[in-house]
Amino acid sequence: MTDDIIISGKGITKKFGDFTALDNIDVSVRRGEIYGFLGPNGAGKTTTIRVMTSLTPATSGTIKIEGEEVKGLDDPKKEKIGIIQQHIALDRDVSVAENIWYHAILHHIPKKVAKERIDRLVKIMGLEPYMNHMTINLSGGWKRRTAIVAALIHEPAILVLDEPTAGLDTQSRHMLWQLIRELNSAGTTVFLTTHYMDEAQELCDRIAILNHGKIIAEGTPEELCENLGRWAVEYIEDGIKKYRYFSDIEDSKSFRSTLGDEVQVTTRPTNLEDVFLELTGRENTNATEEVSYRV
Amino acid sequence: MNVITDSFRVAWIDFMFIKRNIIVVLLTSLVTPLLYIVAFGYGFGSGATVEGFDYIAFMIPGVISISTMTSCFNNVATKVMIQRTYYQSFDELFLCSMKPTSIVLGKAWAGMVRSIISCSILYTIGLFITDDMHLTLQAVGIILVCCLTYALLGVVAGMLSNSHLTMTLFTTLVITPMSFLSGTIFSLDALPDFAQYILYALPLTHSTDCIRSAILGTEFPWISLAIIICYAVAFIIISRHVVVKGRH
Repeated sequence: MTDDIIISGKGITKKFGDFTALDNIDVSVRRGEIYGFLGPNGAGKTTTIRVMTSLTPATSGTIKIEGEEVKGLDDPKKEKIGIIQQHIALDRDVSVAENIWYHAILHHIPKKVAKERIDRLVKIMGLEPYMNHMTINLSGGWKRRTAIVAALIHEPAILVLDEPTAGLDTQSRHMLWQLIRELNSAGTTVFLTTHYMDEAQELCDRIAILNHGKIIAEGTPEELCENLGRWAVEYIEDGIKKYRYFSDIEDSKSFRSTLGDEVQVTTRPTNLEDVFLELTGRENTNATEEVSYRV
Repeated sequence: MNVITDSFRVAWIDFMFIKRNIIVVLLTSLVTPLLYIVAFGYGFGSGATVEGFDYIAFMIPGVISISTMTSCFNNVATKVMIQRTYYQSFDELFLCSMKPTSIVLGKAWAGMVRSIISCSILYTIGLFITDDMHLTLQAVGIILVCCLTYALLGVVAGMLSNSHLTMTLFTTLVITPMSFLSGTIFSLDALPDFAQYILYALPLTHSTDCIRSAILGTEFPWISLAIIICYAVAFIIISRHVVVKGRH
């Protein structure tokens, strides 16, 4: 991973009528990293992805790929991006093979090169038995594998994944994580959105947390946890689960000693889920009042 | 990159769909126009003469004209709307480096192919049924121009519609009345002047005049051809605009 920025968005605002989906956000993804976008439903993750990949025009702001602004639908810089969308974007009424070949044709890949790539990717994804099946008849998992092959066919430098493992079984999820790591090791920059904390913790070098169209925190998973407090004290008081975070374990012990013996207390390392919930809000608890934010 | 070559790249998947479903494509494109010929040509209009021709010779070019519009429009508009809103496969066209004009033309080609297939069959049937109809290069050319015009209208409608309901509404309010009222199956001379003025504002009226003249060998209405071309240019400008601005 280097500090050179491969894709960035500056001052991005996206409005749908009166509703502001993205409010003047800045996003910078470094070459070779896995950059994750976390946020609750409706935070603006998919909109960010769509704007950054030029699928949706921004109301204001600029998108740059390798330092150059993306201008117009026919800008060749867009060829550096491959995207796997949350909703599988394939034509359902043609075969798997036709869908994959279509992507190769659209990206001007010579037939011989395309065939080699398709054979290789189809083998990796285990799609060989399904190539002549109609896409509409595949399960969600196989459709997603088809979409992955289609997105990788032009060997993009930046792979964008919007909720890549949503709806996948555990095996497929781990297979996809492995694939993402392998692609990243081979030099592909990965920009993903997820609302699975374990996925973000497992994969991402850096994470941004988005809420109500604004980036409210950014850093490595370790930095985000550090900023909240390395140690989490979780306790139940008056039937309500509460949390306090401490940088120093001795401080957490001191706090623990102030709680009565009848209070159930657990001290554990802070995790990404704590960071996410404290920043975006815990529903149905008063715990947020107890948290001392340091981010 | 060449706009036309790229447009065929865009159209490839729709051509694959036609190839895979050719029988269904033929049936859906042909049944309605054939019913027009049987019901109006041999039913109501049997033995009648219109503008100096047997009614069947008068109406078959009209039915071809209807086919250029309905077949192109329905296929293109529905396909674009489904690919854009339900499959979301239209997004891939925005991801690759592609000029908006290539996207618009690419989406129009497949509809044109379907319409050309149905028009060819209707034209062939007409040539066997009546001696008044002639196969001319001018007729082939004007049919192609009309197909392109209505396919472009289909792209506009497909880009602007977000549901089947909107599409059905557009078809009911615009396409269906235009098919019946544009001099396709009866002569506009039968209507009062003000109605003729209104109907001559519609592109299908001019398509029908051009196709009928080219097939029956009467004086060709060059002004109507110019008007159709103006419509085609307007549709391509609008569809290009909605492709660029209409992404959401």
